[in-house]
Amino acid sequence: MAAKKTSIPHHVMVIDTNRCVGCWSCAIACKQVNNEPLGYFWNRVLTTAPNQSTTAKAPASNNMDVPWGTYPDCELAYLPVACQQCNDAPCVKVCPVQATFRRDDGTVLIDYNRCIGCRYCMAACPYGVRIFNWGDSNYAPGGVVGYGKEYSTEDRLVFTPERPKGVVEKCTFCVERIDVGELPFCVEACPLGARIFGDLNDPDSQVSKLVNNGGGEQLHPELGTDPNVYYLPVARRVPGES
Amino acid sequence: MATTTAAIPVRATRSYRPIWAWYAALVVLMAWGLAAWIDELRYGLAATGMRDVVSWGMYIFTFAFFIGLSAGGLIMASSAEVFGIKALKPLSRLGVLSAAACVAVAALMIIPDLGQPFRVGNIFIHPNWTSPLIWDILIITVYFVFSIVDLYVLQRHAAEPSRWKTVARVMAYVGLPTAILLHSVTAWIFGLQIARSWWNTSLMAPLFVVSAVLSGTALVTLLALCAQRFGKVELSQETRKWLRGFIVISLFVDLFFVGADYITVLWGNVPADRSALNLVLPGGPWAWLFWIEWIVGGVIPLAFLLVPRLKKMPGALGLAAFLVIVGVYAFRIELVVLGFVNPLTQFPPGNAVGTYNVQTSSFQLIGRYHPTWVELGIVIGLVALFAALITIGYRALHVMEPSPAAGHRHARMPAETKASS
Repeated sequence: MAAKKTSIPHHVMVIDTNRCVGCWSCAIACKQVNNEPLGYFWNRVLTTAPNQSTTAKAPASNNMDVPWGTYPDCELAYLPVACQQCNDAPCVKVCPVQATFRRDDGTVLIDYNRCIGCRYCMAACPYGVRIFNWGDSNYAPGGVVGYGKEYSTEDRLVFTPERPKGVVEKCTFCVERIDVGELPFCVEACPLGARIFGDLNDPDSQVSKLVNNGGGEQLHPELGTDPNVYYLPVARRVPGES
Repeated sequence: MATTTAAIPVRATRSYRPIWAWYAALVVLMAWGLAAWIDELRYGLAATGMRDVVSWGMYIFTFAFFIGLSAGGLIMASSAEVFGIKALKPLSRLGVLSAAACVAVAALMIIPDLGQPFRVGNIFIHPNWTSPLIWDILIITVYFVFSIVDLYVLQRHAAEPSRWKTVARVMAYVGLPTAILLHSVTAWIFGLQIARSWWNTSLMAPLFVVSAVLSGTALVTLLALCAQRFGKVELSQETRKWLRGFIVISLFVDLFFVGADYITVLWGNVPADRSALNLVLPGGPWAWLFWIEWIVGGVIPLAFLLVPRLKKMPGALGLAAFLVIVGVYAFRIELVVLGFVNPLTQFPPGNAVGTYNVQTSSFQLIGRYHPTWVELGIVIGLVALFAALITIGYRALHVMEPSPAAGHRHARMPAETKASS
């Protein structure tokens, strides 16, 4: 059991869509902590319907916050989407230079010093969560916000407050925070507690319970990418909850 | 007699003055391309029309197109040897030359597409063998080296047929599978991706091989016709017949494959697949690609190749070959861009595009793409480079001189034979 405690955690995020009200606080918090420039969103809140399969039918409207259906039978739900941190990640498989890699805790990261900017990972990602630095980005006026330092893990530069032109960037699960025991910033920022973060290797953790018995579902499970982000559907049967 | 003597000075001006004008024009276009690339290096890929939803554009579909074009020459040269098609042997060296030039230009097309072009060495330092891209770079290198060696062997074979016969034969037998592998691996860059249902079909590799044979044969036909127009060669009726046959059969197979894919999507009616196909079918925003592919690059060339009255028209073969190439280019655009236009996860507001303009949203649900002048400039510059490589190679290597295998009057200009006799 002592060995268990020192073993590498398996980081997982669970998002309770029943609690999400579509306020975009997580997206804004993400922009803040990672100093994301104008027009960049590592984290987005998509408008869906409750229990809507992600591929079943066309969206109700091209605009956000528009409910599905005809009045009075309207329904509305939200799907916050950032990098799904797949265990079998297509982006890791296609990267020609191993710039995108998966750490043993399940986090998929990008080495900003190695990326050649071929954007094959963007073509391979089913979730559309990868952002490319097309040109000189419009960073926030008045200097860097958020974490503000470079962060390296396994000798690879996985976070820098201003990403160089011509590399791909994306959600890092706030690797610089989780490595020192803090929560990802979107989890901290969610005003409704819809985001839960933890260690799947620990059977007593809240995420383990939600993933194993709580009805946690992955996005596009049919693709076999095995994401480390789970969603709790709006309508669900959970043992112990009625 | 009077006509023959008059023909000689005309000939002389034709072969010298226009060629320098031609080279000058190509140099201007290449300089334009270089200037465009310098511009892109300064501003980054923001200078292109690509953004986060449609993240591959003109460079990639032109790359795939040039990879396809490189097939025809080598497959034709190898088929001439492997299947003993005598009428195609005079085109062997021209074919291999075009294969080498096309694959070199295709490889260069990737460089401006990179966000960090000066880190390209990472491909060799840290290769990831699960990436189809690495395998494609490997096969492109092999194919280029092979084409150059093959060109040398064929050159020696033309000079000393008896000594180089076996080597030329072995090269032909190796060349055919190498060409097929090149197109398959390039197809798998797209075909293996689960994220894009538009690409994710096992038909992709066969489709790439057949459209490569189609466009490549059409290119060699065009080059041979140009050689006939400006150089000292003449294509025999037999050679024309074989070229026409290659184009017709591969065009039929190509349209059959594309049609079979459409039928599968239409009948299955899976929303993700249908929404991509609807974009290109008549009525959709990309329907112009459908018309170019099926009418301009399909029905019209077939008419010019098969209808007896049209077939006899002068220039029918050249026109058909040109239209076929246009059609295949439209297919490449359709393949690459539509895979992106219609992303798998499609809920409002969509993907952030990475730029902010006051009038428009920073998000796109359905991707949009228009190439910019920078992209056009670089592509045109590289096409000019291709033309220059072909012209220099053609003139330096005399690739269309009469080869011993040709029993016809293939490579001799009638006026010259008359003048000498």
